[in-house]
Amino acid sequence: MSKVYTWDQLFSRRQFIKGSVATAALGSAAGIGLLTPEANLGQGNSDQASVKGKKFVTTICEQCVWRCGVIARVEDGVVKMLEGNPNHPNNLGKLCPRGNAGIETLYSPDRIKFPLIRAGARGSGLWRRATWDEALSYTADQMKKIKDKYSAKAMMFNSTDNLSQPFFEILLKAYGTPNYGTQRSLCFNSMTTGFLYTYGTPQPGTDFSKCKYIIFTGRNLAEGISNSETQEMIEMVARGVKVVVLDPRFSKTASKATEWLSVRPGTDSAFFLAMIHVIIKEKLYDESFVNQYTKGFDELVTEVIDYTPEWAEKKCEISATTIRRIALDFAAAAPAAIAHPNWRTSNFVNSFQTERAIAVLNALMGNWAQPGGLIPDQELSTVKLGVLSHPAFPPAQGIRLDGVPWQYPMVPLAYGVIQTMRDNILTGKPYEAKGWLISRQNPVLSIPERQKTINALMKLDFVAVIDIQASDTAYYADVILPESYYLERFDGLIPIKNKIFIRQPVVEPLYDTKSSLMIYKELADKLGLGEFLPFKNEKDLLAQQLKPFSVELEVLQRVGHYEVQDFKEDHSKDFEFQTSSGKIEISSGIMAQMGKKAVPTWNEPPRPEKDHYYLLTGKTAQHTQMFTQNNRWLLEVFPENRAWLHTSVAAKIGVKTNDDVVLESEVGKVSIKAFVTEGIRPDCIFMVGGFGHVSKGLKAAYGLGASDSALHKTVTDPISGGSALSETFVTVSKA
Amino acid sequence: MTIRMGFVIITSRCIDCDACMVACRSENDVPLGHTRNWVKTSGVQGQFPKVSEMFQPGNCMHCDNPPCVAVCPTGASQKRPDGIIIVEDKKCIGCKYCLTACPYDARFSNSETGKADKCTLCLHRLEQGLKPACVQTCLGKSRQAGDLNDPGSVVSKLIAHYPTRILLKDVGTGPNIYYIDEAVPDIPEGK
Repeated sequence: MSKVYTWDQLFSRRQFIKGSVATAALGSAAGIGLLTPEANLGQGNSDQASVKGKKFVTTICEQCVWRCGVIARVEDGVVKMLEGNPNHPNNLGKLCPRGNAGIETLYSPDRIKFPLIRAGARGSGLWRRATWDEALSYTADQMKKIKDKYSAKAMMFNSTDNLSQPFFEILLKAYGTPNYGTQRSLCFNSMTTGFLYTYGTPQPGTDFSKCKYIIFTGRNLAEGISNSETQEMIEMVARGVKVVVLDPRFSKTASKATEWLSVRPGTDSAFFLAMIHVIIKEKLYDESFVNQYTKGFDELVTEVIDYTPEWAEKKCEISATTIRRIALDFAAAAPAAIAHPNWRTSNFVNSFQTERAIAVLNALMGNWAQPGGLIPDQELSTVKLGVLSHPAFPPAQGIRLDGVPWQYPMVPLAYGVIQTMRDNILTGKPYEAKGWLISRQNPVLSIPERQKTINALMKLDFVAVIDIQASDTAYYADVILPESYYLERFDGLIPIKNKIFIRQPVVEPLYDTKSSLMIYKELADKLGLGEFLPFKNEKDLLAQQLKPFSVELEVLQRVGHYEVQDFKEDHSKDFEFQTSSGKIEISSGIMAQMGKKAVPTWNEPPRPEKDHYYLLTGKTAQHTQMFTQNNRWLLEVFPENRAWLHTSVAAKIGVKTNDDVVLESEVGKVSIKAFVTEGIRPDCIFMVGGFGHVSKGLKAAYGLGASDSALHKTVTDPISGGSALSETFVTVSKA
Repeated sequence: MTIRMGFVIITSRCIDCDACMVACRSENDVPLGHTRNWVKTSGVQGQFPKVSEMFQPGNCMHCDNPPCVAVCPTGASQKRPDGIIIVEDKKCIGCKYCLTACPYDARFSNSETGKADKCTLCLHRLEQGLKPACVQTCLGKSRQAGDLNDPGSVVSKLIAHYPTRILLKDVGTGPNIYYIDEAVPDIPEGK
């Protein structure tokens, strides 16, 4: 029996000093790469610009999901600096704090350095080192056993938005399970379904460059940085564009805006319905656009007749005068006016209606495909990569554990409802789940009711996690398959309009890790499903993706991108809406079919009882969801989350900033430091998500702050499947 | 005319993302627990819901009359002919007089070297024709650096077009970070 390690023994606490070769002593023989700089770019990059052991390698960031272009400076085999690639449209040469901090995670002592198999009870933190062959064989054997005994549906596959996701999806389809969980229902389901059922496209773009008036409702670009979009927002502000922010909290975006409206949580749709009311009453909509491209306008006219600004004021606590003024000014700026589709919007069951109202408001303005308005789906205007040919997938067996579509008929299959999947592991209905393969996702900290998610993990026969670090979910796994960090690996190619970009290793893997592409491939081989991922190695796969183009992989690696010649954007289908009617559906055909009100409508959201507060959650610019809190460079600029309390609330319970407070909801209780401010509604408490890690393998982050997932109730919008996070109310007291 | 290196910082373009702080740490191997630059916030001012907040990035002001240089007993702290204030490591004895003397709190004692440490305006990058790391990465183009004496520089053009302020003017240090608070729609072309 091999040696059993605790987390403490697995990870050295020694701080890596960039430029030293101290880490070469850690982990496996792969560390040798540090000592031989010329060997580090062993992927055909020998002709990269290099000066005395200094090299520049072009790649793609993975500190969030925006996929910014990076140029890495490598000196004597050590990554010294990451800078934005000026040729990349997603970031135009700039990196955000997270992108700048990639090096710290690469050289973190907390990296998982070789495959691990659990050597004690699940969650005990006892592990033994395994070879890749053993770890993959063990995983495949467990997956085969589950399939043989219970059928493929008893195995769940989870992943999140990343470049290797399409190949993970091939693996799960080849295996034959219908159970696939993503982050989507925790994130943007209300936005994507709202727009899908209006325009037939889930997420139209926005032309900030020519926009004259914009309304943000749940899109906090200063703190939820989407690099190029954030830059465009800053430029809009600098140009003097009217920027209105609806947020119960004074966010950093609100601080840059021309107007902050401290809307009551969950009532944004009242604001938008009243805007629609004014715009219709004053005949400020684009009549010819509405006649030509939309369906159901008359029904809308009837619906909004009572949604006066005075009515809305009582709901959303924004004055009728303000609503009326904004409606008039917004209409005057149209079509260069955008009610932004946003992202998480307000996290209520009625958020779908909010998004529908926003979608319809845009339609009334006729801003579709107009300068300064909404931009049609860009997929048609993007080059198509070569695809792998593989056998037909076996039919997926059985219904899905996440309730789509049998419980949630309107949720698109691709989005799913991960919180219901978790619930049904616990209920064992409609059948028992047995195994979970999770690739770089952290359901323990992302799904509401953390304890339930941990209980679900404890109930299963088998849990395997693929990740770069010991996430809270990996902590409860039976096997951890360590993925190489993004600076050490290839991923699938990324087409953006007429250009193709590449993520490639900046240095060879420091430890005994693999790319997720090869983990999926080798796992498929062990499962007897190798023909579904028909490539020998990453470069072979990338070469197949490049087949339609006259460029060698080596050239792409050297230059960092390839521009497809004579590629023309295709706008011929801009006005062919992929809805059942072929028009923008102000009145939704599918809603009518489901026997629901077909036009945007008001649904009263719940309100907190006496001495309870809305619990709001959101982002900070310095961290990405629950992924970066262990990065010590980022902890320097954002060390932990705190509970934002309005001054009056703090005075009432007798706390000041940095005093500990206890927040308690129906499902959980946390202790967290207070941040006392005038920048939040007195009926709300806000905390950034992603802190409060339970994995002792995340040594820098463990014990910092508190997790909103410990407090959130599981409330699901039956239409979009979106997780209504803000329908959790909490009490607050001095700790 | 002599070169006078300095910064223009446009506060209206800063979103307090702190990319400048992380880029500086990366470029200059700044040890954990210390920083060569910062983004300060005014805190939320006013009363709900009539509130405002302002973000003010900063670092060594590369002063015309630098008190850090005046108090240095060994000549380690120096003002170069181009205006950049540096610490010559081999002369620094780690006495920390300069840390106390700096009214902007721009210096720290490097826990790894024991020497005084601070912003060098990324001198090593300037020598290669690159912008300082904090300027290069700034999403809002809030941070700009260059020769304040060269009328063709971005910083000079900005100073010529917009009202500016300096910090702790009365102290007489002659700081070379010029702050612009109003909206700047276009960053001028220039050196």
